[in-house]
Amino acid sequence: MAEIQLSVKDLQKTFHPGLFEDSIEVLRGLSFEVARGEIFGFLGPNGAGKTTTIKAITEIIYPDRGEIMVCGLPHTSLEAKRRIGFMSESPYIYRHLTGREYLRFSGELLGLDRTVLAHRITRVLDQVGMSGRADRTMGTYSKGMLQRVALGQALLGEPELLILDEPMSGLDPVGRRDVRDIILTQAAAGVTVFFSTHIIPDVEMICDRVAIVVDGRVQAIGSVSELVSEEPTSYEATFFGAVPSDLRTPLEAHHLAGGASWVRVATENRDSLIHELGDQEAKVISLDPVPTTLEDLLMRHYEKTGS
Amino acid sequence: MRAVRAIAANTFREAIRDRILYLFIGFAVVMVVSSKLFGMLTVGDETKIIKDIGLAAMQFFSMLIAVLMSMILISREVDSRTVFNILAKPVRRWQFILGKYLGLVSIVAANLVLITIVLMLTVLVVAGQLDLMLLFAGAMTMLEMLVLAAFATLFAVLTRPILGSLMTLAVFVVGHMSADLWLLTQQLPGALTRAVIAVVYYLLPNLERFNFRTEVVHDLAIPGTAVGWAVFYAFAFVVVVLFLANLRFRGKDLK
Repeated sequence: MAEIQLSVKDLQKTFHPGLFEDSIEVLRGLSFEVARGEIFGFLGPNGAGKTTTIKAITEIIYPDRGEIMVCGLPHTSLEAKRRIGFMSESPYIYRHLTGREYLRFSGELLGLDRTVLAHRITRVLDQVGMSGRADRTMGTYSKGMLQRVALGQALLGEPELLILDEPMSGLDPVGRRDVRDIILTQAAAGVTVFFSTHIIPDVEMICDRVAIVVDGRVQAIGSVSELVSEEPTSYEATFFGAVPSDLRTPLEAHHLAGGASWVRVATENRDSLIHELGDQEAKVISLDPVPTTLEDLLMRHYEKTGS
Repeated sequence: MRAVRAIAANTFREAIRDRILYLFIGFAVVMVVSSKLFGMLTVGDETKIIKDIGLAAMQFFSMLIAVLMSMILISREVDSRTVFNILAKPVRRWQFILGKYLGLVSIVAANLVLITIVLMLTVLVVAGQLDLMLLFAGAMTMLEMLVLAAFATLFAVLTRPILGSLMTLAVFVVGHMSADLWLLTQQLPGALTRAVIAVVYYLLPNLERFNFRTEVVHDLAIPGTAVGWAVFYAFAFVVVVLFLANLRFRGKDLK
C-alpha cells in the first residue's frame, strides 16, 4: 500500500449566509485519499465543493465535521503546512509587488533562509518561465503570467504535496500546456499533485487517479481507465441498404450520406437494431461500442444527484 | 516572528506605493507649514499658535491615515483574497493580525516622524530654537494611534471596510469626549441610560489621556505619572483589542 500523502475523511461543511437566507450544505461527507507521487484530479462541475474542500485542507475555512491529514500530520499543524505548496483559484496577487518581490515575500512566510531563498527564486522563476519579467509589478501582468508566478510561489518551499485549485482555468492553449508540463515535471520528481478542475481533457491527459465530485460527495474514484471501463452506454453502426428514419429501433442519433447510414443506439437497443437490419437485408459495415467517457460519467452523476 | 515581520513589511511597502498616502502626508505638511500664516494673522504668541495648529494637524492626519489605511491594507487583503496564500503557508492567524497591525502602525509612525520634523523646523525658523517637547507630543500622538490602529484592525476583521472605518472614526471622536460621557452618567435621570453610557465609557479608550498639547504649547510641567499611565493605558488597550481581533479572526471562514 502506497504511503498516503493526503487523507480526507467524512468532510462536512454548511455555510450560513445570513439571517434571512437558507443554509447551503456544500460538503456532505466527502472522503478520499491521495497516495505519494500521484497526480490526482479532483473533477466536478462548478459548485460541486471542490474549492471548499481545498480551502478546508489549507485552513482557509473550517469544516463542521471530518478529518484531514497531510503527510500523516493534522492539516492545521505548521509542519503539515510547510509540506504543502498551494495555488488558489484565480491568482490573487499584490498589484504593488514585482513578481520577484512576491516570491521573496512568500519565501519569508515559509521561513526560508535569505541565501536559500535567493537561489530558489531564481530557479523557480526559470521553472515557470518568468525570469525575464520578474522585475515588473504584477499589476501589469497578463492572467497567464500571474498564474505562472502564483505557481512559482507554490513551488518555492519544495513541497511534498502540491495543491492547485483550477490551475489551468482561463489559460490559453500554450499556458495550459506549460502548466501541465510543470505538473508532470513535479510528479516525476516525486511530488504528489492534487488539483481541482472542471476541464476533462486535463484530467484524461495527466492524472493517475481521479475523483468525481458532485453535490459535495465523491461519486466515483479510480484511474481514468478504471472509471471508463464500465459497460458502453451506446453502440454506433454504419450500414448500406436501410434508411435510418424507417427503422423502428429507437435511435439516439443518425445520419445519411452518400448512401451510407450511420446510427447510434443505446446499449439495450443494440440487439433490436441488429435484428431489424438483418430483416431488411442491410449490409452492415461496422457495429462498435461507444466507450463511456469521463464526461459521460460526470454527466451521469450530475443528473443522478439532480444538482 | 519572521512571518509577522514579512507581513508587516509587505503592508508597509503596499502603503508607501499607494498614492493616497502621499496625498494625506502632503496635506498634513501643508497644514503644518501654513500654521505660520495663522500665527501671523492671529493675535497672540505666534510660536504657540504654530505649535497648537501643527500638533492638531499631526493628530488629525495621523488619525485619517490610521483609519483609511486600515481599511485599505487589512480589509483589502481579505476581500482580494491575497490572504489565502498567506494562511495556506505555515503562518498562524494571530501572526497575520499582528503583522498587519505592525505594518499599519509603522506607516502611521513614519508619517508622524515626518510631520514632527516639519513642525520642529517650522518652529525653529519662527522662534529660532529647537523645541524638543514637540518630539514628546509626537510620541504621545503615536501612543494614541497605537490604540486607534488596534481598533481599526479589530473592526477590519469584524465588519465591512466602510463600516469599519466609520466605527474607528467613532472611537476617535467618542474617545476624545470621555470626560463629557462621564459627566453625562452623573446627570442623566434614567438609571438604565446611565448604566449604558457608563458601559460605553469603560469599554472605549479615553484618548484625552494622550493629549499633552496644552502642556507642550505653553511649556507647562508634565507629571511623569501621567505619562507612565498613558503608556500603560495604551499598551493595555492594544493587547486587549488585538486579542479580540485575533479571537474573531481565528475561527473565521474566508470566502
